[in-house]
Formats: sequence, C-alpha cells, structure tokens
Amino acid sequence: MQNPYIPYPVVVDKIITEVDTKDIKTFRFKFINPEDEAKYNYIPGQFGELSIYGKGESPIGIASSPTKKGYVEFTVQKAGVVTSALHEMEEGEVMGLRGPFGNSWPLEFLEGKNIVIVGGGFAFTTLRSLINYMIHDDNRKRFCNITVIYGARNPGLLLYKDELDEWGKRTDLNLNVTVDKGDANWKGREGFVPTVCKEVAPSKENAVTVICGPPVMIRFTLPVFFELGFSKENIITSLEMRMKCGIGKCGRCNVGSKYVCKDGPVFSLAELDKLTPEY
Amino acid sequence: MEKRLIKKDALAGIAKKMAGDFLVWAPVKKEDNILFEPLQKDAEPFFAYLNSKNAPKNVFFPHTETLIKYTRTEKGMVFSEDENKAKDAVLFGVRSCDAHSFALLDMLFDQEKYKDGYYIAKRQKTTVISLACVKPPYASCFCTSVDGEPVSSEGADILLTDIGSDYLVEFVTPKGEKLTKYFGDTKADAASETRKTEIVAKAKDAIKSKIPAHEVKPILDKNFDNPFWATIHGKCLACGTCTYLCPTCHCFDISDEVKGSDGVRLRSWDSCMFPMFTKETSGHNPRTSQKERWRQRTMHKFKYYVDNFNAIACVGCGRCVMSCPVNIDIRKIVEDISKL
Repeated sequence: MQNPYIPYPVVVDKIITEVDTKDIKTFRFKFINPEDEAKYNYIPGQFGELSIYGKGESPIGIASSPTKKGYVEFTVQKAGVVTSALHEMEEGEVMGLRGPFGNSWPLEFLEGKNIVIVGGGFAFTTLRSLINYMIHDDNRKRFCNITVIYGARNPGLLLYKDELDEWGKRTDLNLNVTVDKGDANWKGREGFVPTVCKEVAPSKENAVTVICGPPVMIRFTLPVFFELGFSKENIITSLEMRMKCGIGKCGRCNVGSKYVCKDGPVFSLAELDKLTPEY
Repeated sequence: MEKRLIKKDALAGIAKKMAGDFLVWAPVKKEDNILFEPLQKDAEPFFAYLNSKNAPKNVFFPHTETLIKYTRTEKGMVFSEDENKAKDAVLFGVRSCDAHSFALLDMLFDQEKYKDGYYIAKRQKTTVISLACVKPPYASCFCTSVDGEPVSSEGADILLTDIGSDYLVEFVTPKGEKLTKYFGDTKADAASETRKTEIVAKAKDAIKSKIPAHEVKPILDKNFDNPFWATIHGKCLACGTCTYLCPTCHCFDISDEVKGSDGVRLRSWDSCMFPMFTKETSGHNPRTSQKERWRQRTMHKFKYYVDNFNAIACVGCGRCVMSCPVNIDIRKIVEDISKL
C-alpha cells in the first residue's frame, strides 16, 4: 500500500518566471525514481501537495497536461511560508511531491461537447492543463469546438505567453485573450472577462463552460452565462480551501459533507447549490 | 463465543502479566486524573475508575505523531519513512462508549480508497478490552441516545462485565480469543449470563440523560442558515477542550520541525474551534467567527458524518459537557435544534 503521506522525491528541473512582477513562477519537476512518474498518474484538474522539508506543504493545482511525459508542472504564486521557500529554490534542487489528489475536470462529461474555458489571472493553471490535454493530437477529436477566454489585469500578468501565441495560431481553438488595461506594446483585446464573454457569446448548444478565476471575476461572469442560457449543470468550476492531508482525513477543507480535497476540487454549479455556502 | 469468569481482584494482575509480554495501555492515576498510559513495571492499573479524563483515542491517533523524518545532505533534504512500527498492544479496560468511538474512527481512517496506515497499523496490532459500565458513572452520560450502550461489545475484542463477585469475560473477536490464556480456565455458566442480562438492562435504565440525536439530522439538513446558530457561541473561549477530549474528533494539522540537519514532519491534533484552522494564506477564512465553527462542530457530528458514513460522530461520553470551562452543553444544543 502506497503511504499517501510520503512525498515522491522530485528534482526542480526548470523554473519559468511567468509574470513581470516575478511572484508567479512555473516549476517543472522530474521524478527522481522513474517508476514514481507512472504512479503519479493524473488527470487535468487534480492537484498535488508540494512538499519542502522543513517548511511544509502547499496544495497546488497541476498545470501541465498528462499528455506531456517526463515531468509535471505547477504554477505557483509566492504567498506563504512554503511557496516563498519554493520561489527561493534553484534548478537541480530536490524536494517532494504528493498526490495526485482530488477529482478532476469531468473529461467524460466534456467529451463530444463544445467547451468554453473561462480563466482569470493566476487561476488559469489547471485550465491550461485541460486545454493542452484537449488539443493534443490523441484527444482533439473527442471534443467539439473549444473556445478559450482568458484575462489578466495587464499584459505582464498573463501566464504561459509562448503557449498563448501557439494556441492563437491554431484553427481548431478559438482563443480570446484580454487584459483589463493594456500597455504601449499591447495589440490585443482590452476589457474585463465578463464583458469579453458577453462579446464572444458562446452558444449554449451542447456546450459546457469550465470557469476558474478570482471570486470577483466569477461573480460577474456567471450572470453572463446564465443569460446565454447555460444551465448550472453545464457550468463547472474548481474550489480552493485550506488543506493539509489531501485525502479527506485532517478535516479542514469540508464544505458541508464534502471534502474539497477528495470529493472536489471540481464541482458543477448545480452540485455547489446543494452544498452549504461555506467556502 | 468463548466466555469465562475471573475473580474481580484478579484483573490488575492480568493486566500486569500482559504488560510483561507486550505494551499494555491501562487506566492509571496521574495527579488528579485517570489517564490511559502504557503500564510501567511495578505500576498499578486503576480499574475502579469512572472514566478517563482524556478519550483513549491517542492509542491509535497520538496527540503528536511522526509521519516522516528527513536529513540534510549535500544533495538536499533526503527523507525516510519513520520507523513507526506499531507494536503488539492491549488497550485494557476502556469504557464501552470509548470502544464505540474506535468503530467510528475506523470509518474515516480506514476507507476503501485512502487508508491511513499510521492509524490502521496501531488498530490492527492492538487488542481492545472493554470494561463495561455496569453503573454508568456520570449524570452527563448519554450513550444510549447515540447508538451506544453502557454494556456493549461494539469496538471491543474482549468485553469484561462486572457481575458481582466475578467479571464475565467475553471473547468477542478472534483477536480477543488469542488472549484467552490470560483469563484462567473457569468457563462461564448459564447463571452468570443471566446475571449479565439483568445488569445490561439495569445499566441501560440508569442512563437518564437523553438527546434527540437521530431526530435532528433532517432538521440540520435544512437549517444551515437558521438564526439559531448565533445563539451557541457567545461564551465560547475557543479553547478547543471539547475537541481534544472528544473520542471521535480526529482533525489534525501537519507541520515540519527542524533541528540542525535533521527534521521531522509531524501530525498533531487540531481543532475546528480554532480561528486559524481554516484560515487561508490569502487571509480569506471560510468560517469567519466562532458561530460558524460551532455550526461546523455540530453539523460534523450529527449531519456530515451521518451523510458520509451513516453514523453519528458522538458516543455520548459527556466529556465535552463536563470539561467545557463555560458550560456549553452539546445535549442542550441538540435538544434546541430538535425544536427548530
């Protein structure tokens, strides 16, 4: 039996500073024991516990897609004790990784449907995992139209800029990147995510929206999708709560009788309606 | 089921004899308290006790427990699993309510998908000997309202019942049967079993405190936002005593401690009564005041656990009632909810 509290040893293979403010970095980890990679069999939407000995652990959504072999990536904002220590790490250093934990984006439910991805700011990470998964050659035909609406406060805060350029060139993905306010070099769209959603106006026909972002963005974006006729069953999001164990034992991440770590973090709005509003 | 009789004054000797062969947790007097502790050589177990101050959950779920150890090397920190080998042990003389709590904790720690090896190893290696409450000790005992009984083999491998001059010893599980050799060779007769039946009924009747624990579930399902929740916590000090003494509370924290080149990752009891329990790095806290924390504690025991495991996460031991410094009484809370 695999002890779920024991981290897999990983080496920090690559660090990418994502944003101008330098407080959000993507960490690419490689498993030190090759057999551990196979055990770390994850699905987009799941999360891991990043484990730094002497500091503690932090639950972070997985940003890479399982279609990318050989590594796993997490995009992390520097915030508390563990993430600050992580931001001090250098390539080649060894740390720990637990997981994968939680349910995932509901891939089977999404299959055969038009997918609308709505992301805001730093919460784009597990959506990026989902997009890369869906557009992979092996998977693309399992999904119909893919529309992505992604916004950040300013161009310097957009994550995965190289990938955004690549996605923009694809004909099988409708990418809409927006910033609240551009700068001198910004040639793209300006406007808040809810407004852009209204402009893009994805059809509700056979469609599911997967939305992840800061609470203020979610609050103003949901009414747009309700107006477009999306049902609560067809709007999917992901919750965050303080977590420790990741396996539904330590008792702090429950929303009603569900544990976000084990039963979530992904819920449809219809499912959330049935839970207590305590998150 | 194998049943034997032992003389009442033989009990301490049996516990001490077992302690020569393996780890025995037994009630011992410590200052003013009775606590379950490993029975040391020459120490006297104290079986004439009412109930222990702390729930004996620490035998399986210690207050603080090492999950992993690590050492700083030239290549960075290298961790090792703690050599936390569970030893053969006996938990000797727990009350029926506390034994019941183990069955409830098993539901959480020993689930199909995620198994907690630390808890399970100790559970598997430990034989639980229950000492039934033939005279329920406190006015605040309410086990019969929460699926328990003062004389019950639930959660026990061996059940000891005081039937007057003797203890009736019932070997409930195969694990318990492995210890028959310690309990002499006097087979229980029919008379002793009849005597036990009378005692069970009498003990049950002696539990006068009743709460509508089952009745509140459908009410809790619908009353998350009831103004009632603002009426419990006014005097709560958020000390966490209720959760620390509770046999079924199992929330924990995980933290790292480093000294020199060596470190440990520990898990320690935590409490939903503490403001920091759910506070996130961003500063956001889903449970903003003691009101929400009391709702959580009540809901967890009488609704969420029922939703998830079809069991109430309370054994009616009354420890939280007796030890709350400001006299918050879970029995009254449940009673009040039943009237919402």
